[in-house]
Amino acid sequence: MGTPGDNFNIVIAGVGGQGNVLACQMIGMTAVEEGWQVSAADTFGVSQRGGAVMSHLRLSRDKPCGPLIPAGQADIAVGLEPLETVRVLRTFGGYHTRVLMNSRPNYPLAVLCGEAEYPPLDELRQAIREHCREVVEVPADQLARQGGSWVTQNTVMTGALAGTGWMPFAIETYERVIKSLFSGRVHQLNLAAFRVGVRATSRKTGAA
Amino acid sequence: MNTMRVVLDAPGQVALLTGNEAVARGALEAGVNYAAAYPGSPTAEVLECIAAGAEMLGVYVEWSVNEKVAMEGAAAASFAGLRSLTVMKCDGLNVALDFLTSLSMAGTRGGMVIIVGDDPSAHSSAKEEDSRYLGRVAHIPVWEPADSREAKEMVKAAFDLSEDIRQPVMIRMVTRVCHASTNAVLGEFPRREVNACLGPEDKFITWIEGHREQEDKLRRAAHRAEKSPFNTYAGPESPETLVIAAGPGSYYAEEAVAQLGLQTSVGVLKLGTTWPLPEKLLRRYLRPALKVIFVEEVEPFIEDNVMALAAQHLDEIGRTSFYGKKSGHVAGINGVGLGELTPSQIMAALANVCGPDPAHERPAPPGWPELAGRDLAFCPGCPHRASFWAIRAALELDGRQGIVLGDIGCYTLGKGRTGYYLLQTMHAMGSGVGIASGLGQLWRFGFSQPAVAVVGDSTFYHAVVPALINARYNQANFVCIILDNQTTAMTGHQPHPGTGIDPNGNPLTAIPLEAVVSGLDIPVTTVDPYQVDEAIQAVYQAVQGPGVKVIIMRRACALIAAKTSAAVRVYVDQSRCRGDACGCARFCSRVFACPANIWDKAQGKARIDEAICNRCGVCASLCPVGAIVVEQYQEKVG
Amino acid sequence: METMRVKPGPQELQAQVMAAGQCTACGMCAGLCPYIRFAGDRVRIVYSCGLEDGNCYRSCPRTPHDLQDLDVQVFGAPREDHLLGTHRDIYYARAARAVRPAAAQYGGVTTALINFAFEQGLIDGALLVGGSLEQPLPRLATTPAGVNNCAGSKYLAVPSLANMLTARRTGLTRPAVVGRPCQVTAVRRLQGLENNHQAAPGPAPNLVIGLFCFWALEAAFSAFLTSRTRSRVTKMDITPAEVIVDTTGGPLSLSLDEVRPFIKPACHTCFDPTAELADVAVGSTEAIPGWNTLVVRSARGEELVQEARTARVLEIKPYGAERLPLLREAAWRKKKRVLEALAGRPEPYLRLPVDYQLAIAGEEVMRDEYYARSS
Repeated sequence: MGTPGDNFNIVIAGVGGQGNVLACQMIGMTAVEEGWQVSAADTFGVSQRGGAVMSHLRLSRDKPCGPLIPAGQADIAVGLEPLETVRVLRTFGGYHTRVLMNSRPNYPLAVLCGEAEYPPLDELRQAIREHCREVVEVPADQLARQGGSWVTQNTVMTGALAGTGWMPFAIETYERVIKSLFSGRVHQLNLAAFRVGVRATSRKTGAA
Repeated sequence: MNTMRVVLDAPGQVALLTGNEAVARGALEAGVNYAAAYPGSPTAEVLECIAAGAEMLGVYVEWSVNEKVAMEGAAAASFAGLRSLTVMKCDGLNVALDFLTSLSMAGTRGGMVIIVGDDPSAHSSAKEEDSRYLGRVAHIPVWEPADSREAKEMVKAAFDLSEDIRQPVMIRMVTRVCHASTNAVLGEFPRREVNACLGPEDKFITWIEGHREQEDKLRRAAHRAEKSPFNTYAGPESPETLVIAAGPGSYYAEEAVAQLGLQTSVGVLKLGTTWPLPEKLLRRYLRPALKVIFVEEVEPFIEDNVMALAAQHLDEIGRTSFYGKKSGHVAGINGVGLGELTPSQIMAALANVCGPDPAHERPAPPGWPELAGRDLAFCPGCPHRASFWAIRAALELDGRQGIVLGDIGCYTLGKGRTGYYLLQTMHAMGSGVGIASGLGQLWRFGFSQPAVAVVGDSTFYHAVVPALINARYNQANFVCIILDNQTTAMTGHQPHPGTGIDPNGNPLTAIPLEAVVSGLDIPVTTVDPYQVDEAIQAVYQAVQGPGVKVIIMRRACALIAAKTSAAVRVYVDQSRCRGDACGCARFCSRVFACPANIWDKAQGKARIDEAICNRCGVCASLCPVGAIVVEQYQEKVG
Repeated sequence: METMRVKPGPQELQAQVMAAGQCTACGMCAGLCPYIRFAGDRVRIVYSCGLEDGNCYRSCPRTPHDLQDLDVQVFGAPREDHLLGTHRDIYYARAARAVRPAAAQYGGVTTALINFAFEQGLIDGALLVGGSLEQPLPRLATTPAGVNNCAGSKYLAVPSLANMLTARRTGLTRPAVVGRPCQVTAVRRLQGLENNHQAAPGPAPNLVIGLFCFWALEAAFSAFLTSRTRSRVTKMDITPAEVIVDTTGGPLSLSLDEVRPFIKPACHTCFDPTAELADVAVGSTEAIPGWNTLVVRSARGEELVQEARTARVLEIKPYGAERLPLLREAAWRKKKRVLEALAGRPEPYLRLPVDYQLAIAGEEVMRDEYYARSS
């Protein structure tokens, strides 16, 4: 087992269009604000068209690091969708990996077309528990709706990650970054979504 | 993309910039005057970022009709003494290559930098071409950054080199640089007075004598490369094993050395100036090394050139073993020479070459469930889905095994399930129309199938017009369907000559598709693909009878429309949906294959995933029992 | 009774009907299914749904069915008149002047009855054929103005039942159909599914007005017409002698020989020239300009006609005694030809009980005797 080295690795998985890139940017910018060296690699372009997408976010105290996380070396996996969470964990997860997962499925075309099965959520949950350190689930779609908009699931998940206490950043730093990224009503929506996310996990994990 | 941080006038501040943002920032810090591009992933965002600073810094920014014209415009600015930048993806460099190979024989004046985006693994491309070879063909220097921070500095240095050797300099970006963000320190924006003019002695004529100058200029560039800050070495003075790496692979190599604990025997020479090579520098580290490993993305470009160098200096360098793509030791994610590099694969290669180390062996633990793959799909509400359904229906109705030819754009996905596997050819921008033009002549050899070429609106202006002229003039028989979603959707909604706006959204006079087609004396009809039955009729009618015809299927990209559309809700009235008793065989969720149309297993009825539905309502018009409801509502306040 | 060994689904529909040139372009299958579309009179399956049992097959007028079963389903008893089908009365009729649109064919009875049914609330929509003679199109009318726009016979095979889809989607519950005999059969077969099959999509039409039809023309005839005249065609009439085309540039006469090549091949095997399963059937009189032949068949048809008459929407007079044998003979000749044509086929679409068959053959015996006597 290779040691995770000096880098702190977060993989964010989802489906094109779910807002992986933005979630990754919010966390990455927060890290820069807090004085870390950051590499944040996204897939976008054609992958946005409903394909599987992931972002690799790597944080280091001293020197810059490469864009991709080595296999098995994600410290944290944030899944915006259950199937995609498991997909990235198969490659990047390990027994040390902490998992934060949106429990709302997004069905692949092959499933809709009846050519493939979407595994039962319980089976996915069980598999993650067996292979990883811990898993925290968040109903990000419902929370996003509470916050005011379906489309802020990614911000809810960012808040949920902040709320777990797994990240070494202050909540205020995230909120400062959110303010720098948005303005007006969009800022209000995202800030609300972020806070809903924070509350959802800080309760569960007992963190601040 | 956040263009504001690219144009932030705050020298010394640390910003998280993507490679594309960093290139834009570097160009602005270098005082670029003229920037022109045609959008292509992975470098599409560069020009948009420069555009954000255009007004403040007095830069002319243009979305050009295609890459060749973009490069020609940038060359013009260089001829007049200005600094210019042109941006494209590897495919675009192919388009511009005719001009580039001429340009480098005639030379340039003001600094001119060409940004080319290669896409290893083809994340948002059809192919993973290695454009470094084209830079070599064109006799121009090729540099490769490993991350954003380096990309920004490289762009600035490239302008200086370009002005020094009076040649364009190409920077080869890869997706993992373009789309990866790293910390970068913002520099100052220059305040330069410029006055564009060509003196009587400023002549730029491509002629055979230019070849000698090309070679001289390359030698000067090679000389400068020896001292380039972009070539760095980390490792022991006399490495037993030398890793020669470029691009993000250099990070993977350093990380692998560290994780495998090989710091005392393995050195990593990171090359930023990939062509021409810094030969003395290379020879210095090749001499002690017994083994050399090449880490570069896609083709063995450095590998071939370094091995040739070693062969040339065999007496000096001595016996050395080379490991890379040729030997099969260094693989990309899809195999040797296939797909992008990953840290794990580089670690495996190093472990393999420097002695097996079980530390890196990490077989995936068993017990993960089988996971369904995720096909790319047209977005919910995408007008292309309706268009492809209509085209498919019309050709089936016609019954002569009509052929659909595609090219590059979102509609390329029409080759897969989301487009009902309709496309039978897919090559380059506009090439479907050229191929249709050829098929349209084959009746004299017994060919009796109708041919339909689908093109995007942006593609139409980029590359379709000459093929249509050819078809019309030579009397080919086929139908060209312009899938007009009123933007360049695939690369992120850039404007084109049909949209009537510039890169900053300022008005320009649009050139309507109908005007161009009518001007070619080709009959043109316009339909709304959301009116599926009308679209079917239009295509069916068009494929009857001879000649070339154009149908414009016009409907704004759903991603844009969803932001502005009226307050509408689309849902399934499950009391009307007949489920599997309907006889439609789950048309909406299974066959029409819109990701927002899902199957409610518990109820045995269709349902709409309203979180992703873009509310186009096309499924409602196709459901045979009218179970899908499109409901207008008053938007709630607050 | 299920005797078919074939799977009653789209593949067999394709094989037995579409590929065999037996499609009459009624449009019913396209009106039930998102995978069957049409252009002109061409109806095709555009996507293989994979189902082996479908309403498309079960409601097609050209997939195997028993005529007596349909008679019983619609009228409660087998037919007694084997040449004109079950009917209660036969009249000359015309619309009252006030309700007769200029474009109406002959007496405008169909248009008047449909509009009257609208007024009475009997129907909430009507599947009609509109457009022009150059380009006839299925139309779904929901107002009298929409109905009037469709007045006038088109003589072309237009798959107007395809609008069943639109009717259903727009929430109509009581549409009427005006159609050729094959379309009437399709509607009746669909109604039959409601009793016998689990998945009738509904709503089935509430009122069926059939049109006399000895044959319909292919869509290609429209192009032929356009090639013969540059003027706009306003009306067309097919008489036993010629085809008269009124245009804005004056009348044009076509010989039947010019028109015959455009007859839809499936029409040559049609057993039903007078829409025998309709509530009422409407045709020309071939004798009295400005009047229609009106055959009242069902109780609903009778009720509608009587009410329309009382409301002075319809004028009615007795059918000419001298014309009846001519109409019967025309129907008989057609049926006899079709029976002969179908006799050679292994699996004819039409199943006739022995008495139905003998009635046509018997008529022949009777005629032979008649001719023998008179010669």
